[in-house]
Amino acid sequence: LLLLCSSVSPLGDEGKALMTMKASFRNVANVLLDWNDVPNSDLCSWRGVFCDNTSLSVVSLNLSSLNLGGEISPAIGDLRNLQSIDFQGNKLTGQIPDEIGDCVSLVHLDLSENSLYGDIPFSISKLKQLEYLNLKNNQLTGPIPSTLTQIPNLKTLDLTRNQLTGEIPRLIYWNEVLQFLGLRGNLLTGTLSPDICQLSGLWYFDVRGNNLTGKIPDSIGNCTSFEILDVSYNQITGEIPYNIGFLQVATLSLQGNKLTGKIPEVIGLMQALAVLDLSDNDLVGPIPPILGNLSYTGKLYLHGNKLTGPIPPELGNMSKLSYLQLHDNQLAGTIPAELGKLEQLFELNLANNQLEGPIPHNISSCTALNQFNVHGNQLSGSIPSSFRNLESLTYLNLSKNNFKGRIPNELGRIINLDTLDLSDNNFSGTVPASIGDLEHLLTLNLSRNHLCGPLPAEFGNLRSIQTMDMSFNNLSGSIPAEMGQLQNIMSLILNNNNLNGEIPQQLSNCFSLSTLNVSYNNLTGLIPPIRNFSRFPPDSFIGNPLLCGNWVGSICGPPVTK
Amino acid sequence: VVSQNKRQNGPGSSPPTCRSKCGNCSPCKPVHVPIQPGLSIPLEYYPEAWRCKCGNKLFMP
Repeated sequence: LLLLCSSVSPLGDEGKALMTMKASFRNVANVLLDWNDVPNSDLCSWRGVFCDNTSLSVVSLNLSSLNLGGEISPAIGDLRNLQSIDFQGNKLTGQIPDEIGDCVSLVHLDLSENSLYGDIPFSISKLKQLEYLNLKNNQLTGPIPSTLTQIPNLKTLDLTRNQLTGEIPRLIYWNEVLQFLGLRGNLLTGTLSPDICQLSGLWYFDVRGNNLTGKIPDSIGNCTSFEILDVSYNQITGEIPYNIGFLQVATLSLQGNKLTGKIPEVIGLMQALAVLDLSDNDLVGPIPPILGNLSYTGKLYLHGNKLTGPIPPELGNMSKLSYLQLHDNQLAGTIPAELGKLEQLFELNLANNQLEGPIPHNISSCTALNQFNVHGNQLSGSIPSSFRNLESLTYLNLSKNNFKGRIPNELGRIINLDTLDLSDNNFSGTVPASIGDLEHLLTLNLSRNHLCGPLPAEFGNLRSIQTMDMSFNNLSGSIPAEMGQLQNIMSLILNNNNLNGEIPQQLSNCFSLSTLNVSYNNLTGLIPPIRNFSRFPPDSFIGNPLLCGNWVGSICGPPVTK
Repeated sequence: VVSQNKRQNGPGSSPPTCRSKCGNCSPCKPVHVPIQPGLSIPLEYYPEAWRCKCGNKLFMP
């Protein structure tokens, strides 16, 4: 009888289930070639199919990253002995079939990085052996089934980046086994329950980017197993509770909420912090000097609040600090020289505060510094010539301050600069030719200063430059013909200077140039009548009384009609 | 006052000591490791956690 059956169909129930699944997938032509209902076909040798050595039943299906489309067939429920399903990184659509709840031996279920939609089936709660459930990066909707709490051994629950709605079921927190809870990037509402600290085995708690409201519960300090606590980009209100100081976390991300009140001093005792992000809230008051105790912290983000008072010199004791972002606050006083002790500092952003006084020379000791931004303060003095030591700088922004003096030649030695913005200050003297050495420069903005003398011909060596703004200075002389070598320049802004002579024909070789403004100078002669110059509007040229173009009012343009 | 608080289970935390956390391997030092949420879009930074490191091997603190 057995022989008879097998001659009718060589495959057993599991083989038939797999063939039904194959029929439901798309783009199978190349990848599931060996899934075949022919005599002597051994399904245990099929691609992605793994069988138990003795029972020969299918225990594992690994079809990850095969570009599979189509849907997951309900026939998957016939594979009763499956312990692991990995369909991660395909293009699967449709719903997760209810029948998946029949795979009662499942330990590992990964359907992440697909286009699955619909609800998470309640039947998943029948998978009592399940330890790992990853449905990240799909288009799942509806609520998180509260029945997920009936899976006794669930260690990882990752539902990141779906469109799940409703509240996080409170019962989920009463799980001593759960280690990883990823709910980032959904549409979840409700509050942070005080029960979250019942997750006594959890180390990763991430609800970033949902619509959670309410306060951080006072009981938060009981979450002592948490290593990462990310509640950023929600609508959390109220003050940061004192009890936060009892956490043992390495990452505390509270940014992008509506937190009010002061930064609690107790945070300065949380020496296990590697990352502290309180940015983009409504925090007020001073930066507690005790934060300088955080000598193991690498990243400190306090930007986008309403913080007042000085930058505490104690921050110079944060010897592991690589990112310090205090921009967009109301900080006053001077930049403390002690910041020069931060040998690992990579990015320093103090923009848009009310800082005054000079940039301390000591900042030049931060030789790892890659980005330095003090835009929009009331800083004064000149650029320390020791800045040439900051050889790793790629971004230097001193714009919108009260800096004066000459632009030091030495800036041309900071060879990795891609942005140099000194605009809107009181810099005077000539433009150093050495700026032309900055071959990686993409953006140069020296506008709105009191610079005089000619545009250096060496600017023609700025072969990467895309944007050059020298407007609103007292530059004189002619536009160097060498500027025609700038093959990547898109925007050349030279208006409101005293440039004279003719517009060099060579500028028409700058094929990328889409914005040109030479208005309000003393240029003469003809606008080059060739190539891209025909597309620049009259506004690019007006205010040069002796410049000849074809716009109304130009000395050689069409007559003004009355 | 601070250290006394700590002894009485007050607020505050410290990096792991990593004492005998790397098996037989030494030296065993605490390090920050980025935990990638595995998203396709770049983030401003990854969350970080402490692990104990010996050579190029990581151990739980």
